[in-house]
Amino acid sequence: MRQHLRYLPLSEVVEGMVLGAPLTIAEHGVTNFALPAGHVLTDSNLRQIVQRHGEFACITEDDPRSDEMRAAERVHCQSRLDTIFSRADRSKPAIARLYAAVLEYRSL
Amino acid sequence: MPLHLSESEIVDRASLLPAFPSVVNDILQTLDDDNATLGALIHLVERDPVITARVLSIANAAAMASRSQRDVRDMQVAVSLIGLSKVRETVLGVSLANFSSESRMGRHFWDHSVAVGVAAQELARLGRVSTDYALVCGLLHDIGQLWMARCYPLEFQMVRLSLSLEPTLDILEAERRHFGIDHCAIGRLLATAWHLPTSVVAAIQHHHDVHPPADKLVAATHVGEVMANALDLSRQDEARVVNLSESACDLLGIDWNDDLNYLFGKIEARARYLTRIFS
Repeated sequence: MRQHLRYLPLSEVVEGMVLGAPLTIAEHGVTNFALPAGHVLTDSNLRQIVQRHGEFACITEDDPRSDEMRAAERVHCQSRLDTIFSRADRSKPAIARLYAAVLEYRSL
Repeated sequence: MPLHLSESEIVDRASLLPAFPSVVNDILQTLDDDNATLGALIHLVERDPVITARVLSIANAAAMASRSQRDVRDMQVAVSLIGLSKVRETVLGVSLANFSSESRMGRHFWDHSVAVGVAAQELARLGRVSTDYALVCGLLHDIGQLWMARCYPLEFQMVRLSLSLEPTLDILEAERRHFGIDHCAIGRLLATAWHLPTSVVAAIQHHHDVHPPADKLVAATHVGEVMANALDLSRQDEARVVNLSESACDLLGIDWNDDLNYLFGKIEARARYLTRIFS
């Protein structure tokens, strides 16, 4: 099955979820906690993250959607994005790059 | 016919709004003094029972989640549990959430303000400028609209009506049509009257500029609002991206060749988290 990434507030992260990106927590510019991508979160990890004031995590999980469902969702996202950008000049480089980046993010 | 409002009338009419929370200025003033910050912050927090209760509640939730058996009733313990910067962030957010709520602004206004505040914070981190200042800039960037809605509700509704009838109409132009002035200019007057730092005033004044001044806080607020709308964070039908300053992006060090998914994901997840914390 395909995997996909989700970015969740810590209150929605539970034991057993798998990190989709390294989780690092820094204070005053110094990293004081780090877990690698692919790490399976334990209850102890979650408590440590709370103690270090972590707020969110990127997790990877099975994507149960079929290719058709994914394509339909992408069309839906693109339609909403087209509305949001309807008054912007997408020939301008900054606007075009932002549009592309958000569409890619929404297609994760 | 637009209203003809003098600057002094605009500032005088702000008396219809709740008192601006002085703790915001007080906290911004303590930021440069690392030694004074802890004691000063605790003193500031303890002056306000609503904020004190909120900080203690967050500390107790953190204690419970980390399975610490402590029942937190002391601010010093609360600060040690949730951290100085989080306490500062919470005080700023909760005091401005109360201000917005007492001004009877709709939920969507505050959700948008938090989304822009969080995006501005993350962009400030990227551009290496104060995240506390950036949060305040984001939370207050549309303060002029709050004034419009509270002081002249009929004209404010007419602006909304004009925007819905003319989809290509620029919001600043619609506001000038009915008020003779836009929310950025009103925001500048209010922020100045409330003695907010000049960098915060500039961010409020210039957040819609096509070519904003070369200031990282202005840039973080401008790009923050554009990203919050592009990501549809407050899920408002009228969310629109109109322009994005290339120079503001450059000033913050945004590299469009980088993977921006992490930045977007962090902004989205933290906005959801802080919307709950502040409300």
